[in-house]
Amino acid sequence: MATIDLAAVSVTEANRLLLQHGEAGEDVDLVNPDARHHLAVGLTHPITVRVRGSAGYFCAGLTDGPRVEVDANVGWGLADNMLRGSVVVRGNAGAIAGVAIRGAEVVVHGNLGSRAGQVMKEGWLCCAGNANFMAGYMMYGGRLVICGDSGEKVGQDMTGGTIYVGGRVQSLGTDAELAVLPAEEEQEVLAFLDRYGIAFAGRLQKIVNAGRNLRYPRSEPRVRVVPFFVGSERTDYWNAKVQEDIAVKAQIGRYRIRGYGAARPLPHLNDIAFRRDLTTVEPDPDVVAKVELATQVGGRFGATPIDLSMPVMIAPMSYGALSKSTKVALAKASALSDICDNSGEGGLIPEVRDAARRVVVQMLGGRLGWNVHVMRQADGIEIYVSQGAKPGLGGQLMAKKVTEDIARLRGIPAGIDLRSPSRHPDVLGADDLVIKVEELREATNWTKPVSVKLGAGRVRDDIKIAYKDGFDYACIDGLQGSTGAAGNEVLEYVGIPTLAAIMEALDALEEIEATGMPIMLMGGVKDGIDVAKAIALGAHGVALGTSAIIAGGCIACLQCHVGQCVVGIATQDPEHEKRYQVDTESWNIHRYLEAVRWQLATVVHAHGHASVYDLSRADLVALTPEAAEITRLEYAPEHAENALRPAVLS
Amino acid sequence: MCGIAGILYKGQAQGELGRDLITMLDGCQHRGPDSTGFALYHDTDGDDARRELRLRFFVGDGEQAEEAVERIRAKLDEFEAEVLDEEAEGRTQRFTVRFDGDLQAFAYAMEHAAKVASIGESLDIVKDLGGAHDVDDDYRVSAFTGTHGIGHVRLATESAVSPEAGHPFWATGFADVAIVHNGQITNYSKMRRRLEKRGFEFNTDNDSELIAVYLADKLAQGIPLQQALADSIQDLDGTFSFLVSTKDEIGYAKDNLAAKPMVMYEDDGLVAIASEEVSLNRLFPGRSLATSEPAPGTYRTWRRSI
Repeated sequence: MATIDLAAVSVTEANRLLLQHGEAGEDVDLVNPDARHHLAVGLTHPITVRVRGSAGYFCAGLTDGPRVEVDANVGWGLADNMLRGSVVVRGNAGAIAGVAIRGAEVVVHGNLGSRAGQVMKEGWLCCAGNANFMAGYMMYGGRLVICGDSGEKVGQDMTGGTIYVGGRVQSLGTDAELAVLPAEEEQEVLAFLDRYGIAFAGRLQKIVNAGRNLRYPRSEPRVRVVPFFVGSERTDYWNAKVQEDIAVKAQIGRYRIRGYGAARPLPHLNDIAFRRDLTTVEPDPDVVAKVELATQVGGRFGATPIDLSMPVMIAPMSYGALSKSTKVALAKASALSDICDNSGEGGLIPEVRDAARRVVVQMLGGRLGWNVHVMRQADGIEIYVSQGAKPGLGGQLMAKKVTEDIARLRGIPAGIDLRSPSRHPDVLGADDLVIKVEELREATNWTKPVSVKLGAGRVRDDIKIAYKDGFDYACIDGLQGSTGAAGNEVLEYVGIPTLAAIMEALDALEEIEATGMPIMLMGGVKDGIDVAKAIALGAHGVALGTSAIIAGGCIACLQCHVGQCVVGIATQDPEHEKRYQVDTESWNIHRYLEAVRWQLATVVHAHGHASVYDLSRADLVALTPEAAEITRLEYAPEHAENALRPAVLS
Repeated sequence: MCGIAGILYKGQAQGELGRDLITMLDGCQHRGPDSTGFALYHDTDGDDARRELRLRFFVGDGEQAEEAVERIRAKLDEFEAEVLDEEAEGRTQRFTVRFDGDLQAFAYAMEHAAKVASIGESLDIVKDLGGAHDVDDDYRVSAFTGTHGIGHVRLATESAVSPEAGHPFWATGFADVAIVHNGQITNYSKMRRRLEKRGFEFNTDNDSELIAVYLADKLAQGIPLQQALADSIQDLDGTFSFLVSTKDEIGYAKDNLAAKPMVMYEDDGLVAIASEEVSLNRLFPGRSLATSEPAPGTYRTWRRSI
């Protein structure tokens, strides 16, 4: 039995020591904890850790295997995302105890704070006392045992799993209902209580999902395909897409869900141009070797930065929205072009990890497919707050795509219309976020860059928070960003354009005299010229999503949500996926990325610059009054000719 | 976005108020590195028929400060307030005056001379940029013994980073009422318009000032603090955990959604409340505390027994 004294060492040091004791198989006493945060975070060895006092936020968070005992109380997020292992708390637990657990046994002898067991998927969460507001909120599975009173709205928006209440059921949440508790099942619960020494003599009531909200009553109908470029035509009022929107609503009686992004004209990178006349540039096949494009992101706090051969990343797109074949093709292409891939929502699958040279793994509010192991496998960690296509809203994965395989990976019931939570359980403000970021760093021993993905809404405020909360870099996704499924009006009208987003971000950083936090821009970036413009405006780099899947065969039919993608990209149907040729498409995507590189290098070289970061606002003009207003660049429409006919570059 | 803390020494006790609040706020400084503030209360003898008021103004530095102080002196003169004491401290100027006129009119007028941090018989609000220890260095907060107080660390999100935008907020126009708040009031504009229509003035665009004025207005109408807090949970929308302090009470209110943390500890000698237990545990290192987390939609007050 080893002892670690938290009056003498920092939490980070204590967690490092715990890993060493874990490897040696030695149990540990943590003394003088004094309610410090992040105790035993990231522990993946089956040792016993005894906390001799109170622990703060995220005690035993992001763990797999340990047995943790806490003599007094714990703060928010007890056993966050714990896989195997157990936690026993003698006192009370703060909000969201047992958040996103997946297999662990979490026992609290006192009371539970609000939203206990939020998005839990598997395992046991139990309290001898009372629970509080919204216990079992959005839980997907597992068992939540409350020996005392339930608190209000118990089981709010639960999808799966079971809640047992020994005291009063104060009120049931939306889509939760009381069910008959079979004697055998009751015995299992009582045996569990007995095993953890909780005396309980009353009767249990059982609460389950009522099944009224798991699917939309009517799915989107099959419609004739209106290609994206038709839908986004500038001229028509009752154009083909507007008519289609109305026709769909006439069928389903609700908002329309579809794929892709805003299909209406918006100020964009097309509306700014380089001052220099690029039409006269001579083609140079060796131009890539003549300028510096390589860069890094993520080293702001001492983590190992992500190397990029050019300032381009693959945008986050989930395995779920996209087929596995498509995810693998993107990963392969990113490796061929020596850039970085991104898991998107729903976890990092081994095939992607193996194919990508570097990959960032995303953490979303549902914590689907998220755990300490995928964090450690990744080269960077990203907290998704929102995306440009639907800022403020969670992802939607329609039932057809929620296959057994996807459901298993994510820890959810198969065959539901999955509406991912729009909020993180443990991030209700900038103050909580800073503690969350530190948890992720503790779980990875401060070695992985931690970034944030922000949909462009209130960029000015958001980016200041991102800076203050200690992110390595921030990804900003404008209104032109696409998605696999979202409400049509949200896609069209919620958020601000990519061009406005980068300006707000840069202005915000300047306002607080912030330096050193790079911005990666995304949302409708389509070629190397756009990349050059984004960087000249002040972005550090870009991420390519839609353009990469188009390079890999997407036909932009807007039907991603249906799950019957004719080219095998946005589908989980094996018959459809068969059409997707992984090797061919990965080379197509790779060639596209190399075209981006060549265009970017050509623009840099044509300006006489040595490095891509020599590009600046001085090189740019605005072609429209709107773009000039947004970017504060000189309004010089006469440069439109250069922009429209860059002979070498097109 | 921030962390909050409050403490009240029970009975007639005075405690190491400044030191204790610094300790608690330093414990949750990660929640708000931009600025730190304290609302400090001390015992008043209260024998004198004419009341003594403590005033603190933000005056800035150098020439700007000199001009501001001149304006304040002229304004005090205009209201026939007798200056008993005056001292420059950090970026502020502190005055002790005798004044027994209409405090609200006096306070609104003072605001035209310089930004007012607080006015009260026993209240003094100290707030500035930086951490708890930075503010202590400039304002000697740790030397302050007192009866009760509240404090705040701030991470500015929507409004500016400036000393006067920090917490605690004084309830402009009402002596000795202060507030610290973690969260966001979403019906701010509507509530502010209602109060403005009734003649109240606001010095900032911060939603926390609204809570202070809202509560002080109720108190001025003779509504007990308990009832005012109960009303606030009904009237205010959004996410909030806040602490309020008056001359002889502190209290808390928590929204119905329980979105913002708050933990409290009480024994025979004191009650201490903070965003996180780590702040409370800082007061009692090495001990396991019997703490509790207030339920959503609840409020409570503690009064000094004088």
